[in-house]
Amino acid sequence: MYRYDEFDERFVRERVQQFRTQVERRLDGSLSDDEFKPLRLKNGLYLQLHAYMLRIAVPYGTLNGKQLRQLALIGERYDKGYGHFTTRQNLQFNWPQLKDVPDILDLLADVEMHCIQTSGNCIRNVTADQFAGIAKDEVEDPRPTAELLRQWSSLHPEFAWLPRKFKIAVTGAEHDRAAIKVHDIGLKVRRHPDTGATGYQVVVGGGLGRTPMIGKVIRDFLPKDELLAYLEAVMRVYNAEGRRDNKYKARVKILVHEIGTEEFVRRVEAEYAQLDGPTVNAPESEVARIARYFAPPAYEALPEDSAVLDAARRADPALDAFVAQNGFAHRQPGYLALTISLKPVGGVPGDMTSEQMRAFADIAERYSFDELRVTHAQNLVLPHVRKDDVPRVFEALKAAGLATANSGLVTDIIACPGMDYCALATARSIPIAQEIAKSFADERRQAEIGPLQIKISGCINACGHHHVGHIGILGLEKSGKENYQITLGGDATEAAALGERLGPGIDAEAVPGAIETIVGTYLKVRTDGEAFIDTVRRAGLDPFKASFDAYVAGEPA
Amino acid sequence: MTVVTPTGEVPNDYVRIESADDLTTVQGPLLAPLALAGAAVEARRNDRLGLSVANDTKVDAIAPFFDAIDLIAVEFPSFSDGRGLSLAKRLRRAGFAGRLRASGPLIADQFAEALACGFDEIQLPETMAARQPVAQWLAAKDIVTEHYQSGYGADRSILQKRLAARKG
Amino acid sequence: MATDAKAGAKGKGPKLPVILSANRLLEGDVVYLTAGGWTLDPASARIASDAETAAVMEAEGAAAAAANLVVDPYLVPVEIDATGFPRATHFREAMRQTGPSIHPDIGKQAEYAH
Repeated sequence: MYRYDEFDERFVRERVQQFRTQVERRLDGSLSDDEFKPLRLKNGLYLQLHAYMLRIAVPYGTLNGKQLRQLALIGERYDKGYGHFTTRQNLQFNWPQLKDVPDILDLLADVEMHCIQTSGNCIRNVTADQFAGIAKDEVEDPRPTAELLRQWSSLHPEFAWLPRKFKIAVTGAEHDRAAIKVHDIGLKVRRHPDTGATGYQVVVGGGLGRTPMIGKVIRDFLPKDELLAYLEAVMRVYNAEGRRDNKYKARVKILVHEIGTEEFVRRVEAEYAQLDGPTVNAPESEVARIARYFAPPAYEALPEDSAVLDAARRADPALDAFVAQNGFAHRQPGYLALTISLKPVGGVPGDMTSEQMRAFADIAERYSFDELRVTHAQNLVLPHVRKDDVPRVFEALKAAGLATANSGLVTDIIACPGMDYCALATARSIPIAQEIAKSFADERRQAEIGPLQIKISGCINACGHHHVGHIGILGLEKSGKENYQITLGGDATEAAALGERLGPGIDAEAVPGAIETIVGTYLKVRTDGEAFIDTVRRAGLDPFKASFDAYVAGEPA
Repeated sequence: MTVVTPTGEVPNDYVRIESADDLTTVQGPLLAPLALAGAAVEARRNDRLGLSVANDTKVDAIAPFFDAIDLIAVEFPSFSDGRGLSLAKRLRRAGFAGRLRASGPLIADQFAEALACGFDEIQLPETMAARQPVAQWLAAKDIVTEHYQSGYGADRSILQKRLAARKG
Repeated sequence: MATDAKAGAKGKGPKLPVILSANRLLEGDVVYLTAGGWTLDPASARIASDAETAAVMEAEGAAAAAANLVVDPYLVPVEIDATGFPRATHFREAMRQTGPSIHPDIGKQAEYAH
């Protein structure tokens, strides 16, 4: 993984010092609260429902053991002993105090981490495919691109006061696991069909929130070495012309929508034509320097199959289920990537205690080349586990309470913090996830239902990505009570689609039953081996609407 | 009004005018709104002339006056409106070589950003200058010493420095 | 929207009785105005039953914000329960008085029994 050089190190240290002086100037009255707020947000510090919240950047979701241990330490020393992994591969602490934040930032800088631009109207932390460098369908590892963008976007002088937040995701694979079509900019590494050269497909104007939109392709092939100059052109057009009269219409997706994709492309290309690309783009040797950090680790030459693992799976059905559900095929023979679910039934999606972080750091150091990943589904990944080691890893995970075998299943629910923590929320999310998970606790039943993504947001801002959940749940307030709208058919992959409303909003208590009803309809309607989302696509919403309406009306299923 | 430059406070020697009548009555260097640019260019004798422009002005509307003016003041309606930064960048690209001023309630923490985008100075309302004295601006400017982005500011970027180091 | 749940943000003022809530600037903790200063314990909050008292409390909140003790002070409509506890009528504000519903071991609910 990437390691800081002297420049990165100094930059992050100076950024900490900058924030320290900003806090001091807030306290001595030099900065008003209105002025300080965007400054603290650009450093990931929110004021939430009960306390401050600090969001720590995990660039493109990559961490090592030392970093996770440091997060464990911060959680213990400055928080309440746990952290929360987010839908943008970051980690947030829910209880830090403003006076401690500069010291926390120093501790982060000690392990090459920061909170730069994890909030605010600027280019946010860049996300990427959690199986980067592992997946067999990968054209090129997206992490060097993401790291280049991390550096380029950090304290960008021109794009620090955008109309609204700006999120970039990168994938290098055929199958989109980074949800690039629902980002402000999505980049897909691809090869030119004629020349074979590497470049990017550039997608702009996707996003969720109150006006969900699927992004539009604005460049089918951007030569790789032109990336920064082209993005500068996109950002300049957006910075100059994005709406600032209404924050709900300020995202780039609204600009693209209002002037049309064609006109947006025209303006970007006109700006790009005036740019002096070579003075902006990263030197080729710099791109190569960054890429070298992401070279494959020192794999052993192993046969594809492991007799050790095969025997252990036959002997232990729990291990077998875990590998079947949470294993991800590795391009290196004899290795496996493992998704580590942070969704134990009844737990808080994405939460991890400091103890678990330390245990997991041990496992990653010992069995996965000291590397781990964070997924946008609020889970973790051990990227490179020898198949021979999987039984031992499974035992260690079990001991740490991290062996839930539900990756991608109905209980692997994405949920934003909701009103339990968030100042913007209109309803709770986590308790809904917990109750649904409990009602589907039976592992055999989960396996029978198969892949099904439930995504829950506690307000219209859609941090829980409900629009792109196979089943989406949106918590709102209605007549002084929490009320939940259910959507069906959303998809965040290359087949990106927005879910459609199933019917009227329902009370919190009715949600698990409604999900049971939807799943029951699916089981009745599906053909052999047909996944939930495929059934919804084939059969349409009607059968689901009918059973949902009957459920809401109180009729027996 | 206080004008802050990278070397400290300088006197504000431009007088803001609002109407064509002021062109003949006000003495010394003038700062005229863009709408009066034609009249101002015609009316002025040997005194310096500056133009005040809104942050959503097209460069094409300003460029014809480049040779007749010494200063452009880009108006920032609030510190959190970053349009002026992109306008500065475009004005420099279009060849404006005179003084480029960011005018409005900016905060000291934005000084480095404004300079990197091509501004020479910041003109602050007195209330802002009183709360954030010039010393804070000068300190804030230098707190982060390096930048990753090529094409911003006089110094080479981190990426360019790395390249130079590799070449030895 | 959540902001609508904050009483006193606009209009003719919140439904009485009310208490005044804010967050401490340095720590971030939820606090309530008392007869003399601020408290972490919602049970000790000063209760305004008339508009004049509510206005005085709002002014005290604004002064504390200006003095950088607290941020974002606002009035919270409450109902006085049988024990005399001023329970917020809106579920968002009730959550601020207790802590996360998913963590009974954390927050005010763990520190103050009501």
